[in-house]
Amino acid sequence: MANLNVDSVKQRTFDAIVIGSGMSGGWAAKEFTGKGLKTLVLERGRDVKHLKDYPTTNMLPYEFEHRGELTAEIREKNPVVSRCYAFREDAMHFFVKDTEQPYVQEKPFDWIRGQQVGGKSLLWARQTQRWSDFDFEGPARDGFAVDWPIRYKDLAPWYSYVEKFAGISGNNDGLAELPDGDFLPAFPLNSVEDHFKKQLKAHYGNRHVISARCAHLSKPNQIHLEQGRAQCQNRVLCQRGCPFGGYFSSNASTIPWAERTGLMTLLPHSVVQEVIYDEKAGKATGVRVINAQTKEATEYFAPVIFVNASAFSTNQILLNSTSSRFPNGLGNDSGLLGKYVAFHNYRARITAEYEGFQEYATDGRNPAGGGYIPRFRNLHKQETDFLRGYAAGFRADRSKNSDTSGFGADLKNQLLNPSWGIWKVGSHMMGETIPKAESQLSLSKFKKDAWGIPLLNINLDYDANDDKMVADYHAQMEEMFTKAGFTNIQKTDSHQAPGLDIHEMGGVRMGHDPKTSLLNKYNQLHACPNVYVTDGACMTSTSTQNPSLTYMALTARAVDHAVSEMKKQNI
Amino acid sequence: MNRRTVVKGLLLFTGGLVLAPSCVMETSKASIRLKNLDISGEDEKLLGEVVETILPTTDTPGGRTLGLHRFTLKMVDDLRGEKDQKAFTDGLDAFKKLAKKELGSSFMEASPQKRQELIAAVNAGKAPQDVLAFYKLLKDHTITGYLNSELVMTKLRVYELVPGRYNPYFPVKTKQQS
Repeated sequence: MANLNVDSVKQRTFDAIVIGSGMSGGWAAKEFTGKGLKTLVLERGRDVKHLKDYPTTNMLPYEFEHRGELTAEIREKNPVVSRCYAFREDAMHFFVKDTEQPYVQEKPFDWIRGQQVGGKSLLWARQTQRWSDFDFEGPARDGFAVDWPIRYKDLAPWYSYVEKFAGISGNNDGLAELPDGDFLPAFPLNSVEDHFKKQLKAHYGNRHVISARCAHLSKPNQIHLEQGRAQCQNRVLCQRGCPFGGYFSSNASTIPWAERTGLMTLLPHSVVQEVIYDEKAGKATGVRVINAQTKEATEYFAPVIFVNASAFSTNQILLNSTSSRFPNGLGNDSGLLGKYVAFHNYRARITAEYEGFQEYATDGRNPAGGGYIPRFRNLHKQETDFLRGYAAGFRADRSKNSDTSGFGADLKNQLLNPSWGIWKVGSHMMGETIPKAESQLSLSKFKKDAWGIPLLNINLDYDANDDKMVADYHAQMEEMFTKAGFTNIQKTDSHQAPGLDIHEMGGVRMGHDPKTSLLNKYNQLHACPNVYVTDGACMTSTSTQNPSLTYMALTARAVDHAVSEMKKQNI
Repeated sequence: MNRRTVVKGLLLFTGGLVLAPSCVMETSKASIRLKNLDISGEDEKLLGEVVETILPTTDTPGGRTLGLHRFTLKMVDDLRGEKDQKAFTDGLDAFKKLAKKELGSSFMEASPQKRQELIAAVNAGKAPQDVLAFYKLLKDHTITGYLNSELVMTKLRVYELVPGRYNPYFPVKTKQQS
């Protein structure tokens, strides 16, 4: 029987374990298998196979029972996830429902989760911008959080590496604050977006509207065709899963690529309870997994473990990985695990109208969503009474409208023969928030989930800096809109809870010093170097860019480091 | 495809909804299963005539043929909260009373001309508040149902599932030119 046991352990032993199959976990799986390592990928949700498991992808609007809308019953049962713009009839099967996995809101937090193979990479808004040194040097310059242990030059080659494979469309705009990259052709701006770009250039010089950079195959290269992906067909129904593989997701790209090596074992329905730390060996040896359906516990082993469970879930796993060496969570000598979490401030919007360019509209759909305004506030030096700044989305749309005030044959005629309206423009703010010690995650002492894991307490909020930033965004955008000749300007502050931005970050931050950070410059836990964290949990600060591209680059870089350290027998 | 061909094919289109029949096909019950609304078969017929007045059959099918009254019932039943549902059924009763009062007969018995006159008044806001609340719900869902019907989306205002293009400078005629 002893032999059986040995065999069983052998069968459960891999070269690498990756916890999570979303944006960053998918990359870890691809990189490890690409370097010849037998890799176990653990996913707590169900499997979602590219094409096969996109049940709504080719449905026409009239084929949806409620034409895309949520029923009152679903909204009532799921107040949190119902606030997410993408939680609609066509994609609600890819979101975690409120009751499925509870958490404790010490302060209001809308935790939007996609737990299945591919995670939220199926659902993301696909905006991809590089960080620059204006971002990496932020905490050191402005005196918050801790200094990032890396700079742009450390990540630049890895940005190129992931951009080429994922397929990012965009222009090389030559802006120091938003570095150029290895791009496919951009989706161009329309007439009014171009107009706004020119107006900003003329009035400010240092404020820019660029074509939003996004993870869409505007013109696929050989490497994308080899992934089985094809050119984006401008459906803009991405949240359903794309039948063309037109946008980047783990499901369409990294996971099948890893699978093809024959080296990946993908286990869905696998809830990681903890990372196992071996006191004698002085390192992590594996993970304990609860089968989501049978609740049976199984241990798996590997010399290196990547935690990519999504920012806050990664914190939860590490906090729950206790041992006599690490009584407060794995690698948590500093006591900072779960602290200094932050997010992006998406509260502010502004809309307006434009009477010009009546001779143009648009035809087809723009998957990039229009324009992007990189951060211009406090960029080179502190110039306002708040720290940091914001990026902004900007788009102009012109649609055909019908006068629906009448009835009868006249109304029908109006509905069937709409006429072009005027241009509507809109912008939303993506503000940097400051990570603070009091913004923190912890484990509930009383409540456990269905798998025996303590619930996550979430405690973070806006502060005065965020309010000032909202006011400045409104004032600056109003001024810019006015200079561009836009009228009927409307400013709104949604006061939405943190979380709805779906850009929660931190808690396992990178840094130079083990006393003030959890991870080193290669994303290894200072105190347990064979465990790496490369999802949003690793972020020292949030800056203003949509973060996924940075997670991808950090992950590819960290796997390269891990494999090289394994060869040197350092881990 | 021209509109005549569309008319020939009108029997194919039912608003695109697969509607579950109610368990018991009593004449007094609506023909679709409703969880919250209490609607009789007579009410359903009446609503059919009202949506037909809002969106009449012309050279293309109208609201009744497309089943937009049943679509509205389903949407009010599933999407709307209790408050709207009550406003809908209360307002429907008030509408019936208004019809009796203004037309001297039920809406069903009135001539198309008379029906149009009543709907014209309601549409112009000249009716009690409860009737207006009902009418707004009915009209809004009727319009949504129409624009999202298979007929309109495939034949009359074609929806493209796969555009395969984006033209950021699409030339259109200005009002002065058209």
